[in-house]
Amino acid sequence: MLIPRFNYHKPSTLKEACEIKGKLKNKALFLAGGTDILVNLKRGIISPENIISLNGIEELHLHSVDGKNGQTRIGACSTVATLAREKFLLPYSALLAGMNNLGSPIIRNLATIGGNLVTGRPAADISPSIIAYNGKMVLCSVSGKREVPADEFFMGPGKTALNDDEILTEIVLDNLSTYSGSAYIKLGTRRALEISLVNVAAFITLQKPDGPITGARIVMGAVGPAPLRAKTAENLLIGKKPSKSLFEEAGIAASGDSSPIDDFRGSAEYRRDMVNVLTARALTQALEDIK
Amino acid sequence: MKKLINVTVNQKKYELAVDVNMTLADMIREELKLTGTKKGCGLGECGACTVLLDGKPVSSCLVLAVEADNREVVTIEGVETENGLHPIQEAFVEKGAIQCGFCTPGMVLSAKALLDENPHPDEQEIRKAISGNLCRCTGYQKIVEAIQSVSVHK
Repeated sequence: MLIPRFNYHKPSTLKEACEIKGKLKNKALFLAGGTDILVNLKRGIISPENIISLNGIEELHLHSVDGKNGQTRIGACSTVATLAREKFLLPYSALLAGMNNLGSPIIRNLATIGGNLVTGRPAADISPSIIAYNGKMVLCSVSGKREVPADEFFMGPGKTALNDDEILTEIVLDNLSTYSGSAYIKLGTRRALEISLVNVAAFITLQKPDGPITGARIVMGAVGPAPLRAKTAENLLIGKKPSKSLFEEAGIAASGDSSPIDDFRGSAEYRRDMVNVLTARALTQALEDIK
Repeated sequence: MKKLINVTVNQKKYELAVDVNMTLADMIREELKLTGTKKGCGLGECGACTVLLDGKPVSSCLVLAVEADNREVVTIEGVETENGLHPIQEAFVEKGAIQCGFCTPGMVLSAKALLDENPHPDEQEIRKAISGNLCRCTGYQKIVEAIQSVSVHK
């Protein structure tokens, strides 16, 4: 399988990368881990005139806890395997589960968190949890930086809020409050190298150890053109004490919030049913996660 | 468009002019003639082209050769020691973990990366570590046993 020809750029600073991209705009694609781009190049789906490698830019590979602002900052080019080993990400159970479900070990050693997000796939493993945590995407261009809430970043299959002169540089997560917990469940037919049939991330916060629920964010993947918030289900949870029956009700509500399609992986009807089951299950796991 | 890269393969340093659209898998096989690295799907699904890049197993068909500039690659040819086969390779022979052999280089390298990091993995950890390497003869049981036998000996 041949890869079409292109001009190759390898900037060593973010500033330089922004300048190149600012000039070439949609005539250039960024290369990070390459696990999607190389496949698409070989399949002839894309054929860019220019490829800008981000792998020489050190600051895109950094990740740290910013204690002062109560935030966790993750460089977009950090590989999924590296992040999955980071102790400071351990409390982010949904993100961790998403990362451990992505591709396979040999893919995770290449694939980057930023790459998984900017490809904007509706079934992506990392996007749902980032939205659930109310994460922010830092986008950078020659004219400066801007922050976009993850909630508004994903606009459709392959479409994101990223302009053609911008780079995703960081993902920013607020540090978790005491009585909060999260979970991510992916439904597929295999445990590795699988694309989600349905996935659900849930993030809940309680006022005190035995409730009531003060914050709930549920995000469903592969049941719409982009990861979807199950807002009816979220609203139903607020102010109530967590219980099995409440979570079951939320599952039914989430099912109504989803808008899946029929495709070769599964039918819309099946997906809607699975949203119901996975939502209740993810909420139960998120509650366990608090303890 | 060609680019000059410096890459270490199996502890040997190379300076190569590579086409920027060449994959690491092709560089290893076509330029260096190290044909132990296999090309299966070419799309990162099968793991036959697994090599160690800075010690981590990756699909070399998904890496551009230029991206290996200033990095270290180990292929199956680099696993052998001066005393002959690597203990993992010995175990594969011993346990009959080889049928057609096409997945073997990738399996051995994924196993090596696992054992380098975790010398005593349990069965689940072994199965997870090789979950990106497909064996179409479906000889997984023997492969897992072979890796287990090395971890016990270590």
